[in-house]
Amino acid sequence: MIGGLGEFVAAIGTLATPISLFHVAWATLLGIVVGSLPGLTATMGVALLTTLTYSLDRDAAILTLICMYVGAIYGGSRSAILLNIPGTPASAATALDGFPLAQQGRARYAMGLATVGSALGTMVGILVLVLVAPPLAEVALDFGSFEFFWLAVFGIVISGQLTAGGSPLKGYIAGILGLLVAMVGSEGIHAHIRFTFGIGDLNGGIGLIPAMVGAFGFAELLTVMWRRKAEMVAQKKGPDRTVPHFIDVWRYKFTILRSGIVGTLIGIIPGVGEDIGAWGSYALARRTSKERDDFGKGSMEGLTAAETGNSAVVPGSLIPALTLAVPGSASAAVLIAALFIHGVRPGPMIMFEAPEFVYLIAAMLLFATIAILIYGLTLTRLFVMVLRIPREWLMPVIFVLCVIGPYALTQRLFEIWVMFAFGLIGFVLRQMNYPMAPLVLGIILGDLLDKSLRRGLTLSNGSLEPFFTRPISAGFAAIVILSIAANLPPVRRQAARLIGRFTRESRP
Amino acid sequence: MRLDSAFADRVTALVLFALGAATLYGGYVMDRLEVRRIHPASIPGLVPMLLGAALIVCALALAWSARRGAAPDGAAPSTDTDNVAWGNFWAVVAWSALYALAAVGTLPFAPATAVYVAGFTLWFLRDGDTGRWPSLPTIAGIAVFAAFIGWGVAALFRYGFLVRLP
Repeated sequence: MIGGLGEFVAAIGTLATPISLFHVAWATLLGIVVGSLPGLTATMGVALLTTLTYSLDRDAAILTLICMYVGAIYGGSRSAILLNIPGTPASAATALDGFPLAQQGRARYAMGLATVGSALGTMVGILVLVLVAPPLAEVALDFGSFEFFWLAVFGIVISGQLTAGGSPLKGYIAGILGLLVAMVGSEGIHAHIRFTFGIGDLNGGIGLIPAMVGAFGFAELLTVMWRRKAEMVAQKKGPDRTVPHFIDVWRYKFTILRSGIVGTLIGIIPGVGEDIGAWGSYALARRTSKERDDFGKGSMEGLTAAETGNSAVVPGSLIPALTLAVPGSASAAVLIAALFIHGVRPGPMIMFEAPEFVYLIAAMLLFATIAILIYGLTLTRLFVMVLRIPREWLMPVIFVLCVIGPYALTQRLFEIWVMFAFGLIGFVLRQMNYPMAPLVLGIILGDLLDKSLRRGLTLSNGSLEPFFTRPISAGFAAIVILSIAANLPPVRRQAARLIGRFTRESRP
Repeated sequence: MRLDSAFADRVTALVLFALGAATLYGGYVMDRLEVRRIHPASIPGLVPMLLGAALIVCALALAWSARRGAAPDGAAPSTDTDNVAWGNFWAVVAWSALYALAAVGTLPFAPATAVYVAGFTLWFLRDGDTGRWPSLPTIAGIAVFAAFIGWGVAALFRYGFLVRLP
């Protein structure tokens, strides 16, 4: 563990070069701008930036993408506070208390507090990443086909359940649709071509980057132009300041620590993402707070919990992404694709093939965090100006990048058509309340699920027994089955009845 | 027009059922590669068959939960229909389709992009209620902006990333 911290310090030294700092500076700033503009999400920013990093070397490319990711998640708080519209879905909980604070004339203070919360949340996550990722990778070395199959199913089911709001069914459907997309093209065991309908361009499958750029870029653009414009809050003049009082931060130290841990743990769960991290932290803070009546009316504790929680998800989501090649969030899914493009193979072998890389990622996160802290506390006016960029000027530029980015990867017009189709499908699914994260996770995990199931069955000569009897497999299987069963209406009714009876009997 | 209504869910359930059935059938009739003597448990159609079956189950569950006109599992509608503009949506889809699917690849990239950006910006800066177009200086500004984006993006990808533009 101490050795890990030493490696982390060494990685910080490796990154502390002028060119790296330059990349940190521009990519984090760009990330904050992307995140603060309603409609431009962190995933979209990372996906679009991936297409611009093909020619960079490995470390520079990953550094810029991580800075974009951290910056965009943080930047979402700007529009949440000033417009009451979360810049990214991750900032939805921030708007609950951030916007009332802005209405009270404390917009700058709210932004300062959000900045400090975000920075501290990411730092908690970085610490967990450094301490947890190496042992997790070692545990993952014991995974065989049976365990990887269940891991993929677990990811889809849990992601579908936690991201679908009131209807886990729609989350499951989105996950299955993603898995179906992954079935197109040459399969990974016998190289048999599936579901291409004679279209040669589909032989290699549907590319993740065009699909992601479509589902998160073009679909977002359509959503933004479909909705009417938002108005920025008229700011009251008052004794406002950007740098939070130390006493305010210290008062919420337990909230920050708890939200950081909750956010990181939620980040580790495959495909769940920052918005759930923010809501989870916010709900827990509200339940335990002495000021719970102020939540939703401009509570500084609520704002801090939401921002700490969503930012802590970023390092958390990279833990399974690096050690298991299973993304903890949609943005981490794009990062996995970028890692492959730049010759890094995430998964259990990473601690043998490139052990320094995990610590390098942690150092990159730390640099990005320092950058958001500096920018957040000094450039408040600039970010308010960014929110005034008219969407009529910005959106066509975004679409041009959505078109040329996927094309640049393979230089095939087919990728543009894929992007366009996924944009339309993504828009419709989104308006019908289907979450996007399980869809993306399905595309990423489809190959793993397919190969692991068939390999496992081949190894067991067609028997399903090892899928349920090996210890780790049995654990995953139990969680998957229980979590699906828990959402079935008859089971829920029965459980409610049992809880009611137990409560009545235990009452004196 | 609501996309998050019970009716939309019933229609979607029908589409998903058809997709699931087609996938199940497609997986079943897929080549089992007997010629290559592969293990019967590793046939390429196995997972598509399972996914097709799972999708059918989910489609039936969706239809069941939307049967009485309620959104599934009591989920609240997410979109305020008064606050959306379908005209804008269709304008973006049509103009973007024309650019991405027709112009790119047939016209030189930079001018095609400039025309797309100019058309998009001009259309949305038009006053939707009165139909008045922007003033001449604004139009000139749009033209300069569009040309800058068109040739700028083309130069960035051609010379910066060494991409052979469409």
